[in-house]
Amino acid sequence: MIIKIAFKNIWRNSLRSWTVIIAITLGIFGGLAVISTATGLSKMRQNNAIDTYISHIQIHDTNYLQYARINDTIFQKEELISFIKSSKFTSGISSRIKTESFIQSAGGTSGVILNGIIPYNEKNVTGIYKKLDQGNYLKNYKRKPPIIISQILSTKLNAKINTTIQCTFLNAQGESSVCLFKVVDIYNTNNSLYDEVNAFVKMEDLREYTQLSGIHEIVIKLENEFNVESFRSKLIQQFPNHQIDSWRGIAPELGYADKMMNLILIIFLIIIMLALAFGIINTMLMAVLERKKELGMLLSIGMNKRKVFWMIIWESIFLALISGPLGLLSSYLAITTFANHGIDLSFAATGLKSVGIESTIYPYVENRFYYIISFLVILTAILSSIYPAMRALKLNPSETLRTSN
Amino acid sequence: MISIQNIQKTYQSGDIKVQALQNINLTINKGEFTAIVGPSGSGKTTLLNIIGGLDSPTEGSIRINTTEITQLPENELIDFRLHHIGFVFQSYNLIPVLTAKENVEFLMLLQKQGDQFRNERTLKLLKAVGLEDQVNKKPNEMSGGQQQRVAVARALASKPSFVLADEPTANLDSKSSENLLDIMQQLNKVENTTFIFSTHDQRVIDKANRIITIEDGKVISDTHHSKD
Repeated sequence: MIIKIAFKNIWRNSLRSWTVIIAITLGIFGGLAVISTATGLSKMRQNNAIDTYISHIQIHDTNYLQYARINDTIFQKEELISFIKSSKFTSGISSRIKTESFIQSAGGTSGVILNGIIPYNEKNVTGIYKKLDQGNYLKNYKRKPPIIISQILSTKLNAKINTTIQCTFLNAQGESSVCLFKVVDIYNTNNSLYDEVNAFVKMEDLREYTQLSGIHEIVIKLENEFNVESFRSKLIQQFPNHQIDSWRGIAPELGYADKMMNLILIIFLIIIMLALAFGIINTMLMAVLERKKELGMLLSIGMNKRKVFWMIIWESIFLALISGPLGLLSSYLAITTFANHGIDLSFAATGLKSVGIESTIYPYVENRFYYIISFLVILTAILSSIYPAMRALKLNPSETLRTSN
Repeated sequence: MISIQNIQKTYQSGDIKVQALQNINLTINKGEFTAIVGPSGSGKTTLLNIIGGLDSPTEGSIRINTTEITQLPENELIDFRLHHIGFVFQSYNLIPVLTAKENVEFLMLLQKQGDQFRNERTLKLLKAVGLEDQVNKKPNEMSGGQQQRVAVARALASKPSFVLADEPTANLDSKSSENLLDIMQQLNKVENTTFIFSTHDQRVIDKANRIITIEDGKVISDTHHSKD
C-alpha cells in the first residue's frame, strides 16, 4: 500500500513530476551523448594510431628499446614468427629492421629512424600506405633504392618526390655507411612527433647496406583488439627473454589519454548526478511541504515514521524509474544511430585532422556505462530524497493538522 | 476507560506563557458519546490532541485502559494510536489518491490484517455510513458530507477503543451534519465505541449523552444526559 500511495502521489502534480522526469531524462541523454562523443573521439584517435603506425603488439630484443644498437636483434625470430602465424588471433605480422640515421638533402639535414620494411607484410599491420600522396609504397625504382619520407621531413629537407637524399648510419660491423635513396612518395599521419623521425625503405635494401642478418622488430596485428593483453601474456609466457609490448606500452600517451578520458567522464557523471540530486531534493521538498497536513494526518492515525520515510523515498525512486529508462532508451537509440552513420563535423575538419581525428565522429559508449548510470540514477534518487523524508519525519502532527494545506 | 488526571498544558510564545489547559480531571467510560464544548480558544482541540497522544501535556497523566500514554516513546505512541484511537478531523483529511474503500482499508493494512477481514470490514463500514455505492470514488469525487462519512468509517476500521472527532460537522451543511451524527450515534451503539467530540454545533451537543464544557482551559461543567 505504501508503494501504491507513493506511485499515485507523484501524479498529484503531474506537471511538476513530468518536468522532473524530463529534466532527468535530458540529463542522462546529455551525459551519455557527451560520454559517447568523447569516447568516440578518444577511440578514433587511438584506433587511428594503432591502425596507421603502431599496430597491436611489437616485439624487440630486451636491449633494443633502451640502447637502439644495431646488433640488438631478435634472437628467436623464426620460432616467434612461426608461433605468431599459427595463432588464431593474428590477422597480420611484419618484421622490420631499423637504424638511426643522419639524413641529408640539398635543402637540409635531420636525424631519422630508417624503417626497413616488407611493404606487402606491412600493409597487414599498419596503414602508412593509405597516407601516401602518390600511392607508391616502395615500388622498385631504377638505379637508386626508394625511400618514403613524411610531409614534415619533406619540408624540412626541402625534398620532393624524385629528390635524391643521402643517409648515413652505422652498419653491423660498426662502420659508417653512406647510401643514396630516391624519394618515391611522401606520407602524412597527422602525428607530427612520429612523422618527424620516421622514414621507410625496403628491408632488403637496408639489410644490404647494414649487412645485418637479423631483425629488430616484429609487429603484430590481431583480429580483435580485446585479445591484445591475453595474447601478449601468452607470448611473454612462451618467449620470456624478449621485450613484448602492447600498443599501450609502445605509445603510453594513448593509454594516458584513455585514462584521462575516463577521469573526465567520471567528473562529468558526478556533475550530472549532482544536478539530478538537487532537482529531486527540490521537488521532493516541495512535495513534502505541500502535504504537511496530510503527512501529519498519516502520523496521527498511526502510520509510523519508518513507513512515512519510505513512502517519500519510493516517490523519488519512481521518478527515477520512469526517467531513467526514458533517458537510457533515448540515449541508446541516438548513440546507435550515430554510431552507424557518424556525426559529420566536416566544418571543423582541418582542426580535427591536426590532432589526428577524422571529421566524422562515431560515438561509442561501453555497455557498462548504461548499467553504471542506471545504478547511479537510482542511488542518487534515494540519497537525495533522504533530506525531504527526514523533514517529513520532523513534522508535528498536532501542528500540521492546524495548517491550511 | 480514559482517565485524565491533573492535565496542564502551557504554551510558551516568546516571553509570554499561555495556560491552555488547567487541572483537567476527567474519566470517560466505554461507550460514551461525549461532547466537549466551549468557545473558540477555550482548549477543546488541545484537550483532544492530548487525549489522542498528538500533543503532550506539560503536567498530568492520561491513562487509556491500562496504558499511561504520556510515558510512551514516540514510536510506541504511534502504534498505540493505530490500534486504540480513531480520528475524525474537521477537514476530513482523507488520502486524496486513494478511493473510499482504500482509505477505509488503509489502517487495517497498517495493522497487517488479513485480506478477507479487511475486505469484509471495509464494506460493512461503508455500508454502515451509507456509502456502499461509492466505494471506488476518490475524495475529490465526493461531497464534504460523504468524505466525512468515509473518515468516520476509517476511524472505526481499526476497531479503536475510542474515536476522537475535532469539530466533525464544522464544514458540513445542516443536512449532512444531521446525517453524519445519526450514523455516528448508530455506530456508537452497534460497535460500542466511545466517541469524544469537540464542537460548537448545537445539534452535536443535543445528540451527546455527556457534555463537558471548557472555558479558559478549565472544565466548568460536566453533565450527563440519558438518550435513547
